Amino acid sequence: FKSNDFKTCAQSGFCRRGRALSARALAADLSWRSPYSIDPSSVLLAPDQASFTASVKSALYPEVNFGLDLRLHEDGVVRVRMDEIGGLRKRYDEAANWALVAPPRISRDISWKVGKNAVRAVYGEKKNIEVIVEFEPVRVVLLRDGVEQIVLNDGGLLHMEHFRTKDDAEPVAIPEGEAQTTLQLNNRAWFEGEEQDAWWEESWSTWTDSKPKGPESLSLDVTFPNHLHVYGIPQHATNLSLPTTTGPDAGYTDPYRLYNSDVFEYLPSSPVSLYGSVPLMHAHNAKSTVAIFNAVGSDTWIDIGRTETGTKTHWISESGILDVFLLPGPTPADIIAQYTRLTGTAPLPAHWALGYHQCRWNYVSSDDVRSVQKRLDNEDMPVDAFWLDIEYSEGHKYFIWDKKNFPDPVEMIKDVEALERRMVVIVDPHFKRDSSYPVYKAASELDALVKPKSGSGEYEGWCWPGSSSWVDFFNPASWDMWVSFFKTKSVDGQWSWIESTENVGIWNDMNEPSVFNGPEISMPRDNVHYGGWEHRDVHNINGMLFANQTYNALMQRSDPPKRPFVLTRSFYAGSQRFGAMWTGDNVGTWEHMAIGIKMVLANGLGGFGFGGSDVGGFFGNPDPEMVVRWYAVGAFSPFFRAHAHIDAKRREPYLLDEPYKSILRDMLRLRYAMLPVWYTAFKEMSTTGIPILRPQYVVFPEDAEGFAIDDQFYVGSSGLLVKPVTTRGATSASVYLSDPQIYYDYFTSHAYPAPAKKVTHGRTVTVPAALHEIPLLIQGGSIVPTRERPRRSSALMRHDPFTLRVALSTEGSATGGVYLDDGEGYGYTNGEFVWREFGAETKKGGWGKGGELKIWSKDRATQGGSNDVAVYNPANVFAKSVSGVRVERMIVLGVGSRPALVSVNGGSTVEWEWQEGIGSGATTEGKAGVLVIRDPAVGITSDWQITVVF
Amino acid sequence: AVGKTHGVPPSHVAKYVPTTSTSGVGQTWTCLDGSKQISWNAVNDDYCDCPDGSDEPGTSACPNGVFFCKNVGHIGSTIPSSRVNDGLCEPECCDGSDEAPGVCPDKCKDVGEEYRKVMEAERKLRKTGSKIRASYIAFAHKEKKRLEGGLVDLEQEIATREKEVERLRGIAKRAESLSAKELERKKQSPLYQSLLTHYTALKSLQHEYKQHLEREKALGDILDALRTGYNPNYQDMAVLEAVRGWETLAGLPRINNSPKEDKKEDEEDGLWSAERIERELNKLLNIDHVSLLLEHEKVVDEPSSQSILLDVTAYLPDSFIPPYLAFREKLLSWLELLGIKAGSSDTSSEANRARQALSDAEHSLKLTQEELQTAHEDLSDLFNPEGFGTEGEWKKLDGLCLEKDLGEYTYEVCLFDEARQKPNKGGSSFSLGKFTSWNKLAEPGTPEYYTRQRYTQGAKCWNGPQRSLELILTCGTENVLLTVSEPEKCEYQITGTTPALCLPVEDGKRDEL
Repeated sequence: FKSNDFKTCAQSGFCRRGRALSARALAADLSWRSPYSIDPSSVLLAPDQASFTASVKSALYPEVNFGLDLRLHEDGVVRVRMDEIGGLRKRYDEAANWALVAPPRISRDISWKVGKNAVRAVYGEKKNIEVIVEFEPVRVVLLRDGVEQIVLNDGGLLHMEHFRTKDDAEPVAIPEGEAQTTLQLNNRAWFEGEEQDAWWEESWSTWTDSKPKGPESLSLDVTFPNHLHVYGIPQHATNLSLPTTTGPDAGYTDPYRLYNSDVFEYLPSSPVSLYGSVPLMHAHNAKSTVAIFNAVGSDTWIDIGRTETGTKTHWISESGILDVFLLPGPTPADIIAQYTRLTGTAPLPAHWALGYHQCRWNYVSSDDVRSVQKRLDNEDMPVDAFWLDIEYSEGHKYFIWDKKNFPDPVEMIKDVEALERRMVVIVDPHFKRDSSYPVYKAASELDALVKPKSGSGEYEGWCWPGSSSWVDFFNPASWDMWVSFFKTKSVDGQWSWIESTENVGIWNDMNEPSVFNGPEISMPRDNVHYGGWEHRDVHNINGMLFANQTYNALMQRSDPPKRPFVLTRSFYAGSQRFGAMWTGDNVGTWEHMAIGIKMVLANGLGGFGFGGSDVGGFFGNPDPEMVVRWYAVGAFSPFFRAHAHIDAKRREPYLLDEPYKSILRDMLRLRYAMLPVWYTAFKEMSTTGIPILRPQYVVFPEDAEGFAIDDQFYVGSSGLLVKPVTTRGATSASVYLSDPQIYYDYFTSHAYPAPAKKVTHGRTVTVPAALHEIPLLIQGGSIVPTRERPRRSSALMRHDPFTLRVALSTEGSATGGVYLDDGEGYGYTNGEFVWREFGAETKKGGWGKGGELKIWSKDRATQGGSNDVAVYNPANVFAKSVSGVRVERMIVLGVGSRPALVSVNGGSTVEWEWQEGIGSGATTEGKAGVLVIRDPAVGITSDWQITVVF
Repeated sequence: AVGKTHGVPPSHVAKYVPTTSTSGVGQTWTCLDGSKQISWNAVNDDYCDCPDGSDEPGTSACPNGVFFCKNVGHIGSTIPSSRVNDGLCEPECCDGSDEAPGVCPDKCKDVGEEYRKVMEAERKLRKTGSKIRASYIAFAHKEKKRLEGGLVDLEQEIATREKEVERLRGIAKRAESLSAKELERKKQSPLYQSLLTHYTALKSLQHEYKQHLEREKALGDILDALRTGYNPNYQDMAVLEAVRGWETLAGLPRINNSPKEDKKEDEEDGLWSAERIERELNKLLNIDHVSLLLEHEKVVDEPSSQSILLDVTAYLPDSFIPPYLAFREKLLSWLELLGIKAGSSDTSSEANRARQALSDAEHSLKLTQEELQTAHEDLSDLFNPEGFGTEGEWKKLDGLCLEKDLGEYTYEVCLFDEARQKPNKGGSSFSLGKFTSWNKLAEPGTPEYYTRQRYTQGAKCWNGPQRSLELILTCGTENVLLTVSEPEKCEYQITGTTPALCLPVEDGKRDEL
């Protein structure tokens, strides 16, 4: 980490101003009062929907007009917008347009009531939610059951710096001895400060920001008076429950920053900005979760402070309008649903993208790629994708193959695809300034490159190819161009990437954007984008647009379309709609392994659950122990990719000595065995937004002991609980269990029963964690579908039989499910899929003589009672294609006594084997009784019932 | 369901027979590892019962099983069970037996035919190659004879030279003792002393100068290496500045930019060029001071034919000169008689010549001794498994330089010597390393051992290791390099062929059988 490359708050003019404002408020204490107020006479309710507008005035500048716009959405989300009206210039107001998946639906049922001092609305099923917009000073409060949840401008730090001319802003010379005048002239200093700190120009390091628009920053305080834990605002390398940045025990001294940056060897614990920005913050307590989404795209600093009962936050942004969404919750799952209703859920990815990705900077030739594939196959290690980093391209001109080393790119890709695998190739947003490079040439001719501060010509900076220019995806003209580039056949003589196939995935890197010789390794803020907006206005959104357009282009590459795979490094709110992300250039250390898990969890809370960190660490040469542990982390990450820096030694899994090599093979196979779990979790995420990896507090929102836990997580709703080992030399791990439920070790069937008496707090159990062991538990009450036949790639498993692990709960029951489709196309949107629900129940006296355990499969799509399936036909073509796929084995955990008989659908009996052990209702730890039902031969697509008679 | 012996290799077919259980209820079968007895029906029923996977030889049910395809018309082959029934026709199973009937066609007739053709071609290649290899071995034997013969000659020559050295040493000793005292006296001359000081000063300056030159060269090399090989992935603009600075200073064209006009440096008149300084300085420093002293004597003595020390006349009043001269004459003759003053200054140069002759003879002796040692080493390397191979088949290739032109660079490997990367568009070439060892992962003497050569300790990479090379060789009729790659930064891999690896084809014994 090179701290000199990045600003601290003290080195950033507007952050300095924001923090100074907050310091003045703190010093003034009770006498502090926000100068902003609503003119009651201006309140104008919309006639047919829950929205109103009003004028806001600042006592500091009575001549300046601000407009407030409040809307209540159908799902109870409150949107608060404020902008300067009729100012010298227009503030950037399009951030939300890029982030939102569709215009939110404003409620037509809820109505605002205008009172003397405030406008109010009461809503919710129990009419227990209330929003109050107070006039003087302006203050917005969201309450539930009469308790304040979120308050805007509670601390009076709201400040929108209006546009002014440099002349107006010049301090007037004060004749000596005229005290009265002095007072008058300084009547804003109590709020804005005495100095015009970095208003018109700002120098830092060797750069000068010309700031043609002058000061335009935005300060907003958001208070959660009753929430002690806040999460979110990814991407930062910090604990999930965010440490404070102000107050006497502050965890960090600088605010959290959201300013997408290419940070070399970033620190594993720091509030500095990283590659992506999602301005969404959750606030949580045992009774309620709420959140705010601040749709701003400029450089933003966030201070977090704690009060005795709650949390105060202060958001300081460089430019843009105020556009804040208050999310009422009340559960973590509700928050994620409300947020993804705004910004969209992640689409269902191609199934292969959930397999193992083998990457390195760089596989140096097509023969190298073939050789890596061969060596993995020789070791019978599964893999789904081979990746090519920048060196595939001639002179770092992306799309253009370096024919010396890749003389036969299409043949190479087809050799990989022959095993139903895929290739992923990198394309970055900087184009080598070389007129013979068709990509640069086309963009240049379209005038679709980012412009320098003059507003004309092409901005030139330094990146991998040397002198480069950057495509401006804010310019709609670039979109068709991008689509045509990815066609595998040239259309109308335009340049297209004919040396590729319809299946190639694309890796979008360096899209913060990274500019080697720019301020903070990025673009000058006064660069100009389409529409005349400065780079400062759109910086954090910029990276998303790149992935967005690549996704769009890949979607249009084939007919019918296939699900695109795009990996992005930079992201913004809404990026989850366009593929996967990874945590950037991490380092091969234990600290980075550990922080990577937290970062992926935090990203999931930000709606972007398809993520992972580079297995092995990008920089450095990890020893075999670290590599093995990191593969376990990867095997339980939504995105599982091994990657290494060009200076790192090769470390493909087949290169390790025994026993490491065999352990890695087992871990890779475990990932593949669990693909049904992962795919089903992705399906759920694509429907409800709920993340793949669920932190403790999301699963158990009422257990305060779990609020700060971020080193273990549940996988989807499968009931699998994982705690990856991220320390050297571990032989065991402590796992925290919130619920009074039995848990089983996935590998040994050792049972950790529920506490004898119902206790209100959780418990910690010790599980084995030697190098070949992964602390992995199944929560009692879960049914986990797996496919346990090793194959070379995930697609080759499509006709393999299933194993069901039925982990009985303390009550002797269990539920689970599996979602299947063709994994590649969009047939599922027309009902081409299989979605089963599994259940188990112990009846008739349990395991006593004559007792019964029933296990069944039902069609979730038709019987699940959910409205998430629009079109469905149980006899769809896909379902038919897998109708021959059976369940070959059931492993029932927690069967305490020897069964007498196992029968299928009330008829034929099947063979079984029982290993003696404790039942699911037991109270002492020990090996669980395990019933293995041998090949019941029931179809995965059909309804069935297995009866175990005792 | 598939047959019970589907996927079973011929060597195991006999083991796939049922036994009637003692209870008489149906037939049973025991897993090959003896761990479990299962129903005969459970063999190849697509459910894994045996921990060793032996009950499912013909399905994919067991995770670590193996599947045998008969490949009638070709040769039988074994694949992991993970490739059975996965929807892909394995090239190893040309009979298509790895998938359900009807999925994969039986291609064994064609595949077998093709395979036999390939094998025949390979056999021919090896035959031709092995003939060349035989010639290499013959060469090694000739080399051995030559070296052994040379050894005798060299030993004789050494004996002769040793005698000669002894003889010359005697002469030199005598000549030196004769002149030593006289010389010592002459060396007290302030001129000579000053000469020595000048010499030391010049020598020191030259040393300093050379050090500076070397330092500048080393810095230049570092900067050149930085310029051509710098790693932009560090995204370090300071490095870029350094590269740009160096380009300006050294007048190099900018990489990635069109070349700039050359700047001609002004040369000052009257001063020597660097080459001339070097030349003159070397000349000055190589002059033998004693010879010079004696030369000087000659020149100075010519008019007076006297040493300046004895020429007191210059200081005497004229009236004293005649008696002084008479006295001097006498004195000199005494001195001569007493052997204090040499009668002729030539005695010193004689000693000089003797010393020179001795030194020459010693040098020749040393060279011959070295030659002998090299010959001994060569001889011991010749049939050394860790040297030129047990049959000496690699000796012929010692120092043979092979090249591969890849457009930007030409890669050159001089076998058993050094490998280099030479830029085709100008610029400095880098050593990829010097020969260090054969394949360390194999036993010396085995064929595998000679398939890889390691070249290490090449030029250091900027911010990386020293360059190294692995040369991977296979049998071929020519010594030629095929491919060059850099799988890891600064670790090169070159493949090639050589007849030295073409072991003789054993007739009557086909490889494929």
